[in-house]
Amino acid sequence: MSVTSFPSTSKAPTQVGDRRARGALIQTTLVVALICVMLLSLGWGAASSTDVIGALGAKFGVGTANLRDMAIVWDIRMPRMVTGALVGAALAVSGAVMQGLFRNPLADPGLVGVSAGAGLGAVAAIVLGGLLPAAFQAITGSYLVPFAAFLGGWASTLVLYRIATQGGRTSVATMLLAGIALGALTGAVTGFIVYRATDDQLRDLTFWGMGSLAGATWLKLMTAGPIIIFTLLSAPFLARSLDALALGEPVAAHLGVDVQKMKRLAVLSVAASVGACVAITGGIGFIGIVVPHLLRLVQGPVHRTLLPNAALLGAIVLLVADMFSRVVVSPAELPIGIVTATLGGPFFLWILLKNRAILES
Amino acid sequence: MLDAKNISVAYGNRLVLDDVNFIAQAGQVTAIVGPNGSGKTTLLKAITGEVKCSGETRLDGRILAQMSHADLATRRAVLPQSGNVAFPFTVLELVRLGLTNGCATTDVAAMDALPHAALARVGLSGFEGRYVQELSGGERQRVQLARVLLQIWEPVLDGVPRWLFLDEPVSALDIGHQLMVMQIARDFAEAGGGVIAVMHDLNLTAMFADHVTLLNQGRVKGDGQPHEVFTDDHLSACYGCALRTNTPPPFGGTWLLPQAASQWMEVAE
Repeated sequence: MSVTSFPSTSKAPTQVGDRRARGALIQTTLVVALICVMLLSLGWGAASSTDVIGALGAKFGVGTANLRDMAIVWDIRMPRMVTGALVGAALAVSGAVMQGLFRNPLADPGLVGVSAGAGLGAVAAIVLGGLLPAAFQAITGSYLVPFAAFLGGWASTLVLYRIATQGGRTSVATMLLAGIALGALTGAVTGFIVYRATDDQLRDLTFWGMGSLAGATWLKLMTAGPIIIFTLLSAPFLARSLDALALGEPVAAHLGVDVQKMKRLAVLSVAASVGACVAITGGIGFIGIVVPHLLRLVQGPVHRTLLPNAALLGAIVLLVADMFSRVVVSPAELPIGIVTATLGGPFFLWILLKNRAILES
Repeated sequence: MLDAKNISVAYGNRLVLDDVNFIAQAGQVTAIVGPNGSGKTTLLKAITGEVKCSGETRLDGRILAQMSHADLATRRAVLPQSGNVAFPFTVLELVRLGLTNGCATTDVAAMDALPHAALARVGLSGFEGRYVQELSGGERQRVQLARVLLQIWEPVLDGVPRWLFLDEPVSALDIGHQLMVMQIARDFAEAGGGVIAVMHDLNLTAMFADHVTLLNQGRVKGDGQPHEVFTDDHLSACYGCALRTNTPPPFGGTWLLPQAASQWMEVAE
């Protein structure tokens, strides 16, 4: 019936080229894996697994557990595990959304200025926080740094968005270039503040930049969590639009996508959630680029399955990295950014080299 | 009916379209022709709402500028001149993007099989699993056409015609596929839909178009049926070279093409 002679495959014709089923299978696998990793994360460390199970049950009135185990599981590990899962998911989804928006597999949330802005906010809070009135310091306490980081990231993205938007249209290319300019400026201001920092402050700055889940508390989670969850929930609404956007903005519009609306939602929700992530865990790189890229290789670029799977895999990767960070230099902890980069860098390189042929075609 | 009145478009200080009036009827193939840089593609972009323009376009009575993206997507599909795809989509995944607004057909049960039907329509059955990036230019152009056809699979929906906007749909195709694609456009029009195509090939235009608008330097230089517009004077003036059109004689007349003659009488020997 067709003029082409294409080698027939054993699959039913309706399944060839259709990776929806594979995406769903991967999703199921990832859900199971995430649950395992979450449980493992709770049981990881000094308290024995029976104590952990006891403590989990005791919370719901099943059996009893001593106060120490209850505290370890519910006040330390649980918020840490939930934070890790949410942050990992948000970073991976944000990466995938940014890549879709910029139509480039190398895009990451840093492109909308959120990282540079958050960095400036955090540095300013660490170094200049002491200059604030004592009463203000008493109220904000240890939340000054995350708060400032979130504010800085959000403000920086808003400025960038305003610059790139003219006559109701946001130019992605302008945003990219203005982001570089703004990043340089932010970096200069950050550098100036760092130059003025004391030795102790420099140490704080360095560790903040490497990222850690160790500071996770229920209170921090309560403030950042809703923002992150909002992004995760809004992502499915972006999926179809992002697919259409792969064909370019005019084509997406012809397909019925309100491109301007989706850009605004994408940029602002990514800025909010990445800002929230950076605020509570510091700088954790790498997940936003590698997780979506890996998934695209195995299940294709269709966002309807890519986004949820990225959330799941992102959560898994960060929780696994966190477990490593807890044991490598035990009893101390390695900053998690170091772990993600050490594990992820070579792995990513290996994947890239293996798929060189596809990438270069 | 698509009715565009007083369309002007300026890129910077340069006026690309100057007070153009353009009408296309549903049930017909309307071609926009003219030399390079005459404003053909810009006119297409103006009447699809892709570029800002002065003047007013009405699509079946409704003002284009006031219709939402979703609304427009149910009424018309647009095939751009070139389209690069950002990520490694398979052919099937790309064609399926035509279902983005979900209004290809009212028969929801048939929806999942439609992408395959659309691929078969453009002669690409069996290409479902190929990566778009691996295809030749002509194949890619037909994949995009399949996506566009899928978007408005039924040429008439709820009694209202739908529109196919094609920007040089045959530019990368061999002669067989050129005929195939033009036939698709014809069939769509004959089923009640409207087709507006930017064309370079004047012979194909004469064969398949019901109505032609000839542009030059951003102005309309001719408008009507192909035989009315494609006169020696019109074409020579617009394209900047001496052109001669020909028509075969009425049925029964003998017609010789001197180019087809051979030098010596080899056949007789």
